[in-house]
Amino acid sequence: MKLSQIFLFLVLGAATLPAQTPDAPKKKRPPAVTEGPAVAQQVVQNNSLVRVNATSQSYSLHLPWQKESPSSRRGLGVVLDGNRVLVTGQMVADSTYIELELPEKGQKIPAKVVAVDYEANLALLESVPSDRQKAFFAGLKPMAVDTSARIEDKVDILQTGRVGELIKSELKIGKVLTRRYNVEGSGFLVYEANNIVRSEANSFTLPVVKNGKLVGLLLSYDSKNQVTTILPAPIIEHFLKDVADGSYEGFPSLGMELQSTLDEQFREYLGLKPDAPGVLISMVMKGGSAEKSGMKKGDILVAINGFAIDSRGDYKDPQFGALSSSHLVRGRAYVGDKVEIKVIREGKEVTLNGELTRRKPDDYLVLPYLFDKGPRYVLMGGLLFQELSRPYLDAFGEEQRGGAILRLSHIASHPDKSEEEGRKKIVFLSLVLPTPSAQGYEKLGGQVVNKVNGKAINDLNDLADAFKNAKDSVHVIELNDFPHIIYLDSFNAERDNMRLLDGAYRIGSLKRLE
Amino acid sequence: MAPPPATQPIDVKSGAWEGIVNIDVSVLVPDYREPWNAGQPSGGSGTGFLIGKNRFLTNAHVVSNATRILIRTTNDPEPHPAKIVHIAHDCDLALIEAEDGSHFEKLKPLDFGGIPQLNTEVIAIGYPIGGDRISVTRGVVSRIDFRPYSHTSVDSHLAIQVDAAINPGNSGGPVMQEGKVVGVAFQGFSGRVAQNVGYMIPVPVIKRFLKDIEDGRYDHYVDLAASDFPIENPAQAKALGTNGDGVGVMVGDVEPQGSVGDLLKIGDVILSIDDNPVMNNGLVRFEGELMDMNEIVERKFAGDTIKLKYMRDGKKLETTVTLKRFDPYVRLGAQYNQRPRYIVNAGLVFQPLDRNLMDAHQMRDDTVNYVFDNFLTDKLYVERPEPVVLTNVLPDEVNTWITPYAHSVVDEINGVKIKSLKDVQTALAKKDKPFIEIVLLEKNRPLVLKRELAEDAHKRIMATYNILEDSYLGDE
Repeated sequence: MKLSQIFLFLVLGAATLPAQTPDAPKKKRPPAVTEGPAVAQQVVQNNSLVRVNATSQSYSLHLPWQKESPSSRRGLGVVLDGNRVLVTGQMVADSTYIELELPEKGQKIPAKVVAVDYEANLALLESVPSDRQKAFFAGLKPMAVDTSARIEDKVDILQTGRVGELIKSELKIGKVLTRRYNVEGSGFLVYEANNIVRSEANSFTLPVVKNGKLVGLLLSYDSKNQVTTILPAPIIEHFLKDVADGSYEGFPSLGMELQSTLDEQFREYLGLKPDAPGVLISMVMKGGSAEKSGMKKGDILVAINGFAIDSRGDYKDPQFGALSSSHLVRGRAYVGDKVEIKVIREGKEVTLNGELTRRKPDDYLVLPYLFDKGPRYVLMGGLLFQELSRPYLDAFGEEQRGGAILRLSHIASHPDKSEEEGRKKIVFLSLVLPTPSAQGYEKLGGQVVNKVNGKAINDLNDLADAFKNAKDSVHVIELNDFPHIIYLDSFNAERDNMRLLDGAYRIGSLKRLE
Repeated sequence: MAPPPATQPIDVKSGAWEGIVNIDVSVLVPDYREPWNAGQPSGGSGTGFLIGKNRFLTNAHVVSNATRILIRTTNDPEPHPAKIVHIAHDCDLALIEAEDGSHFEKLKPLDFGGIPQLNTEVIAIGYPIGGDRISVTRGVVSRIDFRPYSHTSVDSHLAIQVDAAINPGNSGGPVMQEGKVVGVAFQGFSGRVAQNVGYMIPVPVIKRFLKDIEDGRYDHYVDLAASDFPIENPAQAKALGTNGDGVGVMVGDVEPQGSVGDLLKIGDVILSIDDNPVMNNGLVRFEGELMDMNEIVERKFAGDTIKLKYMRDGKKLETTVTLKRFDPYVRLGAQYNQRPRYIVNAGLVFQPLDRNLMDAHQMRDDTVNYVFDNFLTDKLYVERPEPVVLTNVLPDEVNTWITPYAHSVVDEINGVKIKSLKDVQTALAKKDKPFIEIVLLEKNRPLVLKRELAEDAHKRIMATYNILEDSYLGDE
């Protein structure tokens, strides 16, 4: 998490350096190198790489009817079979315009996203088939994916210079582990390598190759410690296979939390023999694969699909050695696969059989991430209601985290209670725009909505419906926090709604419920 | 408006100001990180003034955590040891006396005036920035308002803003008008926030303190322990049934353990307090000034009653409220003159959650911060009046696997629900099982220690980390 932030800063810094930015007007310039002392004498090209330029623009989280200012990202995409181009998901998140560029010639062509997985941080791009597209890809050769990399293997991070010359940074894979990528969720497989990576203009999404084959994409680079993390080929292969079968399912997970049992006193307390394997299951997520297979909190997990789980929660991977058991499900299996889990329950070994599923972002009480679409909202007479999301909470700095934000964060970290109450989402009053009908409520914000006009509010659709049923032309809004109850004149609120549309706040729509 | 009084020179040799004294204090700041230690010695100085026979009024913050108090007058360098008679942290006032009062017998006590009018001139007298000669600054009364008292940071009372310079060391000194005390200087703003803003504690607050201690004991302020929400919205006024005459404020929250916990409900409309009509923004006209309705409650004492008229579901109702102190909020403010309470067991340090603890430990844990921040708002005190935090794990072989769990709220120990530090002691005394089992709030695994190992390690850890007593649970 920390690493990827460091990387972002590095990228932004590099992208603003004009000297290193290979801009469009330069394409008419002959490729011959006559200036710049740093340029290599011998120009090596790689005909499997294209530059990717993406413009992205996210929606405002606090004023959800508008968008933030656009920004641009540059990266290197890897050409795969079928004239498709692989980049990280981060590269194309919230994109408004994507183009591919030939590193040497500078020729450009628009592209669109065919498949994206923000959890696995991967995206596949394509250009509309045409003569121009054919010409663009004519000189390019697809790169093969190689999943065989191991610890100690030497790999190269590829970058292109101003005129398309190849710049290699050699790294050695030092560790293989699981780690969160750039959105919340369980860990994915990561290669970690050490060495200096040159900072170039196009450092967002860089390919990592071995013997001309793709072994991963650069995930982050911590320049202070010279630690590089690489999104590895096994995850890329998983993504591509999933895309290839026509319907994209994503990466499965078990939906549980485990606790290591290295502590001898804890082992004795749990009734584990001194050298017996296994970890304690401390939480089983509702509706997840683990729960459906019959796993219970308090079980001791000892094996998944025949792999023994040690007291750290690791299994022995034939290729990488000790690795978190989460990879057995997430990286090595697919949604719909059968899974066999062995647990010890009340001293006896029990075999659980289940089918792997994936929890979609929308299945969560609090949306873990949101890209490419605007936050849902309902605006009524100046009162802005939203559904609680991780990005909304993360937008508040450390010093603003008191009071309401702490309370909302607490709900987000402990969704069980709200889910038991029947809530599908947490609807809250996020902001009050000054209108005559909201007079007196200007300072409110951060209160969770329980009921409107007597109807329990489990998501924003409930809220929109409830506003259709005012009694005696007054909306009664019951909140979970001070002042607990507010009233809104239904006629005046509608009148204010009309004024808000295209008024000073430039509001184009009173709600977004899609 | 009366013209400002002519400037009169002050003759310090006359003895008229002799009753305004310098208070030199040695303090010991308690150590909430190593609660078994004595704390950090430090010192400070302030001002006090004679209000009766060997009775000096000053600020509570001047003499808080004092180990030695010395009084000096402006014309006599002789220090006179003194001690606290009564201290009221919630209104930042204290009464101290000299151990030998004979020296001050001839001095004339200062008299109290009333609430000064806006734009009338006052002088602040004291010993700012530690000097031994008396200092006088002059200004006008700028504002009379209900505001937070920074000493505890959770109490709000009437305060008077003046533009006379009030600097550290002025604290506890009199602010005077026409020869009478109209306030006690007590706080200001740093120059980065606002210029020429000083605050004094007005006479009603001082008189209330003096009356409260008449029975030999300070009983603290009483509180309605309900939050009001203005009725400004026309739909709200209509729904709540107020007739738009600007009378009545909505009840937005009620503390179940407070004075009106069983009497008022959210959505009730308070119409009057002791027959003073309450306006829609919660203000009352009281003694000629518009003031927060709580000012009426502020003047009362524990056990006193007030008459409340309110409206519920359109019906006008009346009730009599017996006022009491609302305890749960005390731990949200800074506390003084207290030895930190703790229990150490096998290197695990347990301490009650309060502001002093939060300030000392810089807790980052989400659960600890949530419990502290929402102790009142989410009514967490009802279930857990004194949350206990595992603040530290002093590393040893026995607890090496559980050191990462420091800074967690303790839910249960050995099956006993932990509602106060005392419960930790009770729970640890239960020895029916071979393991000590500690369940933490919102952490997914219990901490377990094998009892026999923990008992052996306990003595070793106490010696290694130089802890003389393994617990301090308070005086009672």
